[in-house]
Amino acid sequence: MTEITRKGVVFIVPCSGIGKTYGTVSREAAYHVTEDLRPEDTRLVALSKLVLGDEEARTVVAGNPAISIDGCKLACATKMVQESGGSIAKDYAVLEVYRRYKQFKPQGIAVLNEGGEQLAQALANEIALVVDELTSGKGGKENG
Amino acid sequence: MSDYLEFRVDKFVFKVAVDCLYSEEGVWVKLEEPYVRIGISDYLQQRSGDVAFVEVKPVDTVLVVGEEVAVIETIKVNISLTAPVTGKVIDVNPALGTSPEAINFDPYGAGWLVIIEATEWDTNLKQLMTPQAYCAKIKREAEQEVKDK
Repeated sequence: MTEITRKGVVFIVPCSGIGKTYGTVSREAAYHVTEDLRPEDTRLVALSKLVLGDEEARTVVAGNPAISIDGCKLACATKMVQESGGSIAKDYAVLEVYRRYKQFKPQGIAVLNEGGEQLAQALANEIALVVDELTSGKGGKENG
Repeated sequence: MSDYLEFRVDKFVFKVAVDCLYSEEGVWVKLEEPYVRIGISDYLQQRSGDVAFVEVKPVDTVLVVGEEVAVIETIKVNISLTAPVTGKVIDVNPALGTSPEAINFDPYGAGWLVIIEATEWDTNLKQLMTPQAYCAKIKREAEQEVKDK
């Protein structure tokens, strides 16, 4: 379990699953956080860059708290952050989030249905609160 | 602990518990006299994907073969499962409300669905497949699917 107390930018690493509804939800949530809700406090990292070993991406992830959003149980986003030397401040699995918001049933692949958009927004709202805790120095917990 | 028949197709390994009988749609039935316990096969859960929610008929529901006994919502599909036996539901798996993923990680054990007091077991038995017959059926299906890709 990792306690994060560093004050700074939080990196958001969503699933890269293309053609998968839950992967799309993860990316939409990441966009909401990094572009709309907490643009000053967060940065988006493409999982593919970590997979390919991009030095810049690995360096920033290794030196800052990261929030991963996984689209399936393979948990590629979480694993790649860890393999890149980063610390997971909080990991999300879209399926677990959906179980908390049963009314938002996600469908669609390239374009999410309304339920999927609402689920992505709900997830983004949760992540924004975690970002607030991290940037205020309150910390987060891995697998929390 | 159950013994299994196992086979691999492509990268997937499927298990068929040998102490159960099976319906065509992939519901397993285990006789625990005087009751039967039912759930879904490993093949069906792997094809259906991660389970998000499960709804099963409540205790005291009387079912006839072919009537809906449970609905499983996964990340891919919604499955309406039909009762493989006639009888009354006497118990439901309480863990499925909070841990529906049990169906994925332990389909023949912790992921069971309901226990039914079967009232026409001798008749229902004739409609169910042996583990060997079910295994052969799903192996053909899986291999055909790979060929069709």
